[in-house]
Amino acid sequence: MSIAVDAQATPARFLARALERHGRGAGLTLLILLLGFLSLYPMGMLLYGSLHSTPPGMAGTFTLDGYAALASDENLAAFANTVAISLVKTVLSLALAILMAWIVARTDTPGRGVLEVLITLPFFIPPILTATAWAMLGNAQVGTINLVWKALTGAEAPLVDVYSYGGVVWHMMQYSTPFIFLLVVDAFRAMDPSLEEASRMSGASRWQTFWRVTFALMLPIITSAFILSFIRGMESFESAVFFGTPVGINVITTQIYNSITQKAQPDYQVATALGFAAMALMFLLLVIQSRLLGGRSFTTVTGKGYSPSVTRLGAWRWLAFAICVAFFVLTVALPVGQLLLSSFFQFFGFYQLDMLTLQHYRDVWENDEFWHAFGNTMLLGVLGATATMTLGGIVAYVTTRTTWRGRRLIDILAWLPWMMPGMVLGIGFLWGFATLPHSIPIYGTLWALLLAYVALGTPVAVRVTSGAYAQIARDIEECSRVHGAGWWQTLGRILIALAWPAFAVGWVLIFFGIMRELSASILLYVPDTEVVSVVMLKLWLGGKPEEVSVIGLIMLVLVLVFRWVQLRFIKRRISTL
Amino acid sequence: MLRRTVLGGLAATTALARTASAQDADWPKVVEAAKKEGKVVVYTASIGSPFHKIVFKAFEAKYGIKVELLEARASEVRERVRVEQSAGRFLGDLHHNGSTTTWLMTQDGNFQPHGAVPNLKNIEAPYAATEISIPAEVISYCVMVNKNMVKAADEPKAWKDILDPKWAGKILSDDYRALGGGAVFFMVMYDAFGKEFHDKLAAQKPVFSRDLANSERRVARGEFPLYIPFSLQDYNNLKGLPVKPIVPAEGRPYVRFDLSTLKNAPHPNAARVFLNHYLEPESQLVFANAGYNPVVKGVVEKTSAEIRPLLATKAMGTTTPSRQDAMLALAKEIYK
Repeated sequence: MSIAVDAQATPARFLARALERHGRGAGLTLLILLLGFLSLYPMGMLLYGSLHSTPPGMAGTFTLDGYAALASDENLAAFANTVAISLVKTVLSLALAILMAWIVARTDTPGRGVLEVLITLPFFIPPILTATAWAMLGNAQVGTINLVWKALTGAEAPLVDVYSYGGVVWHMMQYSTPFIFLLVVDAFRAMDPSLEEASRMSGASRWQTFWRVTFALMLPIITSAFILSFIRGMESFESAVFFGTPVGINVITTQIYNSITQKAQPDYQVATALGFAAMALMFLLLVIQSRLLGGRSFTTVTGKGYSPSVTRLGAWRWLAFAICVAFFVLTVALPVGQLLLSSFFQFFGFYQLDMLTLQHYRDVWENDEFWHAFGNTMLLGVLGATATMTLGGIVAYVTTRTTWRGRRLIDILAWLPWMMPGMVLGIGFLWGFATLPHSIPIYGTLWALLLAYVALGTPVAVRVTSGAYAQIARDIEECSRVHGAGWWQTLGRILIALAWPAFAVGWVLIFFGIMRELSASILLYVPDTEVVSVVMLKLWLGGKPEEVSVIGLIMLVLVLVFRWVQLRFIKRRISTL
Repeated sequence: MLRRTVLGGLAATTALARTASAQDADWPKVVEAAKKEGKVVVYTASIGSPFHKIVFKAFEAKYGIKVELLEARASEVRERVRVEQSAGRFLGDLHHNGSTTTWLMTQDGNFQPHGAVPNLKNIEAPYAATEISIPAEVISYCVMVNKNMVKAADEPKAWKDILDPKWAGKILSDDYRALGGGAVFFMVMYDAFGKEFHDKLAAQKPVFSRDLANSERRVARGEFPLYIPFSLQDYNNLKGLPVKPIVPAEGRPYVRFDLSTLKNAPHPNAARVFLNHYLEPESQLVFANAGYNPVVKGVVEKTSAEIRPLLATKAMGTTTPSRQDAMLALAKEIYK
C-alpha cells in the first residue's frame, strides 16, 4: 500500500481554500473536525472501553469496575511512583537543559556549535539500546563501572546499581534533558538583548538579570517544556520496565502493560481506566500552567532589529565547556561507545578478539524486511513531520494569536493525544480505525500509521510553535496586515518566517518520534506497511540485540546529518535576519 | 488429568486422520485452488524467529504461494483478530499462537474448522489436533547456567536442586505472575511438587525480568549463575557464550504453539496447504534443530547430535488454560 506525496498537502490546501472562501467559521469547523477525528474519536473508543466490561464489538455490560480497580494498593503505589519519578527527573533535566541551552546559545563557550549537536544526540537513540548499554555499565554484580570502581578502591560494595529508582530516573533523564534542551535553546537565541541590557543598566547583577529577565521571559517555553517532559515521564515505559520492575518498582505504564499482556484474559477495561486516570492528572497540570501564565506578556522578538547578545564568561567558559562535555560523555560516549564496540563483536558485551565480526552489518545490509520498513518509515517520517508541523502551526496560531471563539476547544483537542499513554492510545487507534466503514480506506494502509503519527506529534508541534509565537510581538503581524497582506501571507511570511527555527526543531523531534514510535505501530501495521520500530522489536525479541545496535547506529548517523543541515540552515537564516 | 487429555487427543487425532485419508484423493484440487489464491496471511505471536521464516520460504518455493506475516506479541495478535472480525474485516487466514491464547480465542469463536489436512496423521502423542487447532511446534523449558560460574558438579540435576540455599539471590527468572514461560513453569512445578516447592523457591528471592532475551545475556555476562525457565530454542542465539542448557531429571515443562484457521479466511485452500506443509517432517526438522520439540513422528531422531539429548527428554507437563487465572493469582500471592 502506498500514498502519494502530493496527497499529504491536500488537507492543508483544502483548509486554506475553505478559509479564503468561507472564512473563519468554515476553517475553524474543519480544524475541529480534523482534530476531533485524530484525538476525540480514538479517545471516545477508549472511554467506551473503560466503561464497558468488554472491548468494542463484544457483548458486555457497562460497569465502573475499571475505575474501581484504580483504588487498589498496587495501582495507588504505581501512581505515587510515577509522579515522584517523573517529577524528580523533570526537575533535574530542566535545570541541566536550561543551563546547557544558556551555555550554547548565550555564552562564548568554545565549541558551542558542535556541543549543540552532541548534547541532543541521546534523545535520538532508541531507549532499549541505551538501557542495554547501561545495564552492562551499571549493574551491581559485573557492571563495567562497578568493576573499575572496585579495582581502583578495593571496595566491596558497588558504586552504582541501575536496577533502582536512581537508575530509572537516570535513564529517563538521558531523553528528557536533550528534549528540553531542543525546546528551549532557540528561545534563548531568539531573545532581544535590549531587555537584558536594560536590566544591567538599571543596576541588576548578572544573576539577577538571568533570573528576572532571561529566565522570566522564557517562562512559556520553559513551562511548556516542563509539562511536556513531565507528561512524557509519566508515560515512559522502557526505563521503568527495564530498571524498575526487576526490583519491584512499578509505574502506571507497567501496570497498563500488565493488564493487557500478563493476564490470561487481557483486561482492557482496567488498562483504559488507568490511562484516563493518568490523563486526568496531566490535565490538572495543564490547568495549573495556564493559571500561572495567564495574562502575562512574553514578547521578546519585536519589529526592531537585534542580534542575540553573548555573555563573556572569561575563564569560566572552560567550566561551561566541561559541563557540556561531561553530559555528552555520560549520556552518549559511554552507551554509544558500548553499542559501537559491540556491533563489531559476535555478542553484545563480549570483547574477545576471536569474536570480532562484521556479520551484524552484513545481516542488516541484506535484511530486505528492514530496508522495506526503512523506506516506509522515511516516507511516513517526512510526510508525518511536515503534516504535523503544518497542523501544529495552524493550531498554535489560532490558539495563541487570535481571539476566535472555539480556540480553547482546539487547544484541548490538540493536547489530548499527549496526555494518554501511547500504549493505550495505540489501542484507541486500532479500535477507531478498524471500526470505520470499509469505504474509508484507512485501516490496513499507511494512512492508519500516518494519521496516528500526526495525532501523536501534534501536541509537540503546537507547544513548540506556540512557544515561539508567544515571543513575537503583535505589532509586526499588524504591520503586515496593514500593508495589505492576507491571513495566510502573514502566517507564512511573518510568523513562520520568524518562528521557523522552532519549526525546524519541531520537525526533527516529530520525525524521529515517528522513527521510534512502537505502541501504535505494532497495532496498526500490516504485512506491507512495516516500519523500523516494528522490525527492531522483532530483532530484539528474536535475540539479535547486535543487529538492533547496528540499526540504532544508522539512525544516529541520520540524526547527525539532519542536525548538521538544520543548524547550518539556522545560522544562515539568523545571519540574514 | 494428563492421561485423560492424551487419550482424548489420540481419539480426536484418529478421527481426524480417518477423515483426512478419505479426502486425500481430493488434495491435488486443494493445492490447485491454493495456488490460484496466491497467498496466505499468517498472524503469528512468534516474533522474529528466523527458523519459521526458513519453513515459510520453503513453502513459497514449493507452491509459489506467498506467505504474508503479521508478527506481534500474543495479546496484540489476539486483539487484532478480535477487533478486525467484529468490524467485519477478514484479513488473516491463519493464527499461530500459544495454546492458552488459542484456547481462549476458540471460546470467542475466532476460528473455523481447518478441514482435512493429510499430514495430520504425522502428529505424535501427547500432542493432538482438534477440529479447530493443529499443534505447530513446542517450546520446552529448562535451566540455563553460566558455565564460568557453575562447576559441573554443582549444576542442578533435578528441579528441586534449585531450592538449595547456595542459589539464594542468584536466580534470574521469567516472571511467574505473568502469562508466558514463567507461568508455564509455575503451573507445571505446582502440579509436580505442590505449593511447597514454590514457597521454598520464593525464599530463594529470584529476580524477575520479562525481557527474556536480555535476561539470557545477563546470565551469560555473569550477573547471575542461573536462569529459569530457559526456552530451549533460544540456545541458538547464545552458542559461543559461556552458557549451558540443562534439562533436569524430572523432565521439561513445555508449551505448545497451535495453528488455527481464522474465521472467514480469505484464502482457505492456501491455509490448508500451509498447515500441511507445516506438519511435513522436513519442516518440523527445521524447528527441532532449532530447539523446538517437533509435534510429528520420526523427527527427533534426525536432529543434530547436540540438540537430540535435550529434545529426547521427558515432557513433564504444560499449562491448562482454564486454570491459568487461578494459577497467576496464586503466583502473585506466593511471590510478592
